[in-house]
Amino acid sequence: MGQIIANAAGVILPALIKALPITLYMMVMSLIFGTILAVLLTAVSLRSKGPAKAIASGYVTFFRGTPELVQLYLIFFGMPQILTLLGIDISNWSAVSFAIITFSLNVAAYLSEVMRSAYLSVEPGQRDAAFSIGMSNLQALRRVVLPQAFAVALPNLGNTCIILLKDTSLAFTIGVIDIMGMAQIISARDFGVAQVEIYIVVSLIYWAMCVMLEQCSAYFEKIYKLGSAALT
Amino acid sequence: MVFDFNFVKEAFPIILMAVPMTLFLAVTSMLIGLVIGLIIALIRIYKVPVLRRIAEIYVSFIRGTPLVVQIYLAYYALPYEIVKIANDWGAGWTEKSLPSTLYAIVAFSLNASGYLSEAIRSALESVDAGQMEAAYSIGMTRMQGMIRIVIPQALIVALPNFGNLFLGLIKGTSIAFMISVREIMAVSVIEASVGYDFVETYLMAAIIYLAICFIFERLFKVIESNLKAHRAEITA
Repeated sequence: MGQIIANAAGVILPALIKALPITLYMMVMSLIFGTILAVLLTAVSLRSKGPAKAIASGYVTFFRGTPELVQLYLIFFGMPQILTLLGIDISNWSAVSFAIITFSLNVAAYLSEVMRSAYLSVEPGQRDAAFSIGMSNLQALRRVVLPQAFAVALPNLGNTCIILLKDTSLAFTIGVIDIMGMAQIISARDFGVAQVEIYIVVSLIYWAMCVMLEQCSAYFEKIYKLGSAALT
Repeated sequence: MVFDFNFVKEAFPIILMAVPMTLFLAVTSMLIGLVIGLIIALIRIYKVPVLRRIAEIYVSFIRGTPLVVQIYLAYYALPYEIVKIANDWGAGWTEKSLPSTLYAIVAFSLNASGYLSEAIRSALESVDAGQMEAAYSIGMTRMQGMIRIVIPQALIVALPNFGNLFLGLIKGTSIAFMISVREIMAVSVIEASVGYDFVETYLMAAIIYLAICFIFERLFKVIESNLKAHRAEITA
């Protein structure tokens, strides 16, 4: 037993940690692009009516109703085919790029729902009050509505980040050498001998990261609530 | 390359034949997960001394690790153990004789149980304590109070969460493809690799998943409104 733990800690863990930056890179980049896209989607679904709103709504339904694996395969295999029709050749893009594109599109759908519900949860009276003292639309948004919406959204944002981190574990299926990809490489190298130990270490790494994310989220929720004393 | 409609006509029925497996995985795992989740939720609510810590760690682990990792753990750890136990009892099993579907269901059930236990716990705790006290006051036992008074009210609160979790489970069954279970994703990959019709095949798979999710979403909404039928909605 002691030898198993020694092997795990001494050999498996360092090898897997080397692949950790890729996992984090995918998560952060997907979060950044996804947030930008989500803001766009939320704005469209809140303000427009008709075709634009239908497109946004259809987009969210698609990315929330299909498995991440299907989305990954669709974009990794399908996008090059479609772009070849338009004469663009992207056959030498890295697998990480496709993974980031897929996760950005995916997380944008979930984030836009979070943002939309948070925005709608702020009572309209707040915006009316802001207008009544002469603020413009943008000022009302920035100074009054968004801070309150953000406080409502924080727990859901934290959850979405954790889910995103766990979703990135699927990227190895399109060839990304993240933690899971490295785990497959190591287990193949040893002729499949230490597979259970490898995946136990993998699960412990993800578990540790998720617990850290949960603590961060709880911390941000706490500081963000410090300023808002309850009015009731 | 134009959109290959002939391929779609041929491949669609083949992919559709994998839908029962997907549904089987999802429904079985949901049911088993509900039983395990209920036990875990009760352990945490009643704060059973030693088991409570174990339950908390279990739920934290399930929610903190990706489904893929859990599936691989089941796939690599279980065969040896199951065969060892079975052979101790005299059955002459080998590791090859057990189907991958078994490990997939174990992994999905445990995964579902972690999330379901949280949904059940929050639903049970959302029912006012006064309801149970009222049940005691007219002479019901704890079991009667739970079954007749608390659980029906808790069920209404829990149902949206159950619906979301079930949809997540349906999407999660696509990962069983990694341990060679012939569900929708596996069949799609096989079909796509025949003629390199990736876009058509994966779009078909996506549409099938969307349809399944849509149907179950409606189903859960109908069940919800049936359970809430006795409540008058307060219209502002």
